[in-house]
Amino acid sequence: MFFAGAAGLVAFYLWGLLGLPGFGNYPGPYGPAILRVAVAQTQATGVVSAVNFEYRGFDTVGEEFILFTAAAGTAIVLRMLRGEGERSPVDEARDRDAPPTSNAVRTIALLFTGPVVVVGWWLASHAQTNPSGGFQGGVVLATAFILIYLAGAFLTFSKLSPTDVTDAVEAAGAGGFAAVGLAALFTGLPYLYNYLPLGQIPGAVSSSGTIALISFFVGLEVAAAFLLIVSELLEQTLLIRHGGR
Amino acid sequence: MDHLFALSVAVPLLVAAALVGVKPLLSGRRRMLDTVAVLTAASVAVMLLVIMVQTDGGDRVYWFAGFRPFRGVVIGIDFEAGPLSAGLAALAAVLVTASMVFSWRYFERVATYYHALMLTFLAGMTGFCLTGDIFDLFVWFELMGVSAYALTAYRPEERGPIQGALTFAITNSVGAYVSLSGIALIYGRTGALNMAQIGAYIGRHPPDRLVVVAFLLILAGLLVKSAIVPFHFWLADAHAVAPTPLCVLFSGAMVELGLYGIARVYWSMFGTALGHRAEISHVFLTLGVLTAVVGALFCFRERHIKRLLAFSTISHAGMFLSGIGLLTPLGLAGAAVYVAGHAMVKGALFLCTGIVLHRLGSVNETWLHGRARHLRITGVVFTLAGLGLADLPPFGTFLGKGWIEDTGSAHGMPWLMPVFVLCTILAGGAVLRVAGGVFYGLGDPPSEDERMARAANEETSETDADKRRTPLTMIIPPTVLVALAVAIGLTPLGPAADAAAVRFADQAAYNATVLRGAHVAHPVAPFAAEAAGITVSDVVTGLVSAAGALLLAYLALYWRRLPVLRRGYEPGTGLTTLAEGFQSGVVNDYVTWMVFGLACLGGVLALIIR
Repeated sequence: MFFAGAAGLVAFYLWGLLGLPGFGNYPGPYGPAILRVAVAQTQATGVVSAVNFEYRGFDTVGEEFILFTAAAGTAIVLRMLRGEGERSPVDEARDRDAPPTSNAVRTIALLFTGPVVVVGWWLASHAQTNPSGGFQGGVVLATAFILIYLAGAFLTFSKLSPTDVTDAVEAAGAGGFAAVGLAALFTGLPYLYNYLPLGQIPGAVSSSGTIALISFFVGLEVAAAFLLIVSELLEQTLLIRHGGR
Repeated sequence: MDHLFALSVAVPLLVAAALVGVKPLLSGRRRMLDTVAVLTAASVAVMLLVIMVQTDGGDRVYWFAGFRPFRGVVIGIDFEAGPLSAGLAALAAVLVTASMVFSWRYFERVATYYHALMLTFLAGMTGFCLTGDIFDLFVWFELMGVSAYALTAYRPEERGPIQGALTFAITNSVGAYVSLSGIALIYGRTGALNMAQIGAYIGRHPPDRLVVVAFLLILAGLLVKSAIVPFHFWLADAHAVAPTPLCVLFSGAMVELGLYGIARVYWSMFGTALGHRAEISHVFLTLGVLTAVVGALFCFRERHIKRLLAFSTISHAGMFLSGIGLLTPLGLAGAAVYVAGHAMVKGALFLCTGIVLHRLGSVNETWLHGRARHLRITGVVFTLAGLGLADLPPFGTFLGKGWIEDTGSAHGMPWLMPVFVLCTILAGGAVLRVAGGVFYGLGDPPSEDERMARAANEETSETDADKRRTPLTMIIPPTVLVALAVAIGLTPLGPAADAAAVRFADQAAYNATVLRGAHVAHPVAPFAAEAAGITVSDVVTGLVSAAGALLLAYLALYWRRLPVLRRGYEPGTGLTTLAEGFQSGVVNDYVTWMVFGLACLGGVLALIIR
């Protein structure tokens, strides 16, 4: 029955796809209009970021909070339940050794940590000049922490990202974005209005007003949310919980 | 004052982030947490009510970041609010406030996250109602969904909630992605995401197949969310395991938001372009009536009170869809008023069930028989709400349903009225049976259905507080909701609701408002506005439904003592043996039904509009 339904649906979908305009035949007014006005209006040469964080910035608020909610949801589902304790696992089979993390993995992971931080930071803070931005930068930043875990240092990993702090950073990122938008209202401007000086040179790091600021907050939020989700999952796998209801 | 548009979404989001940010400071300060959350939800409700009153004369548009249309081309995102959209969002905010008051000191364990997620849920619902942009609609739809999945799974120590939440998340996500691919198609055709702009663009050409496919795909996610047969299976499973205050929001607002989305998508984008109004109306009506009947039958045979109420919601969703699907302003106005009245009484019913669960630790109708006699106030509120659900005048429900039936009769569908009355009697009778049995110990307990009893017994108490008394914060919200339901029925809403619906259904006026900033107060509607008021027939149908429901409840309770026809037949069983296998609880089956249903709908639409 599933296959019959799926076949019917696919047929219907393909029937509709035949009506799509040809490749490269862009029908709408949106693209040309944005390309004409974006750089002049925002002084940002990263037009993708200008769309993300300015023209359609309100969508991005929503998307950011979806991630925020997802992280909170993970925390709810995987939280330590009342009466449960945690301990590190002890190998029950005493006659074999756990394979240690190989030196090659350690070296490479630690070697990459620094550059990854730099690249992530750069991505998150240069949205105005090229199509990077907080989403990509945040994910890369979170990777740096995961590299530390890969290098075999779970304890260092959890010390570097205690849940309360990650939570606070995540909230600061999400709330910061919403607050940047809200600040415009105090001067009677619409929500998310770009009220900061735009700078003189399109494509300069200091150009584009709120776009750069918002991208930075998104970077914070995304990095913290990923870190939170990963560390919840790691805790679930690496620590044994006992007791319970 | 237009800043209220932005504030109604930004404030709950900001407060949610702030609550999580200062989480360590809030532990042990439960009262402060509750107060902040309740005040935030209440202030959002006030903002939205103000917007609703302000837009009474004409819709208003708010452009985010100040990007007004540039020579008729939209480059930003807008909120477009009229009384119907703002009113529905306000309804959601009122329900969130009531739920937050009810859960005062509830959920000790995940306090901060619970409050934060309720607020993001509220922001998602508000954004969904007000937005005028199809992709933005999807974003808020997802925020609403993710918050709801997470809240459903709030008791991960038990198997039920995790499973129900997973079913909920998978079915709704599948629907959402299908919708997203529909949005991609319509963007491919028009290069626009603003609903007014898309509508203006595709309205200029005869409907082509791409538009038809995009229409159905966009509807898919909304049909799943609004629990229309055969996309409805997840709803009862999610309701059964979700915390009771959350059920209030699922039944009272979330399902209705899905239906609102259908109306919004049809009237602001596809209405003109697709044409074939009569045929499309028949498709909607078929789905609506099928849903109303299936929901009512399942409702009557259920013994798990939360599931019973969930099936009644499905039945009502079918009636709302029929109202919307008549594709006339009066039908839409009727659906709007019906939604408001239903949300109040259904919310009250769930909250009373929550009190029973708090005090007695069960939602099993058979076990509870006669055991809740000492919960006198709760019993009275529950019974009143049950009568409201059975459309007894002057509860707001009878008005809305009356208008839908009147529209049906005026458009050559007089059979709509008896079908609706029958569905109302079944669902209302089931709820009144619970009221009579559980709170007053009337008649005999209904027989124990083994599967249902197992499901009902899995439901354990959600509360940590003292179980020997009902706190005032638990009993006040349902009482207020019942009073509001009566208020809706007594307010002369007719002309305002009708005018709002005429404007909602006028695509040309919508386009002019959004694209050219026009202030359209009295648009020349494609239909003459039908008179909306309280007619004798509305009151009579309402009275008949309520009397029928009472009679049915009486029969169900005293069946075994009746001298005739008592051959061991249990009322309700056998009604749905055929359908029973469908509600398997296995998510694969549910998705199969969704795909199958979509394929059938696609075939029908392809035949109608070639």
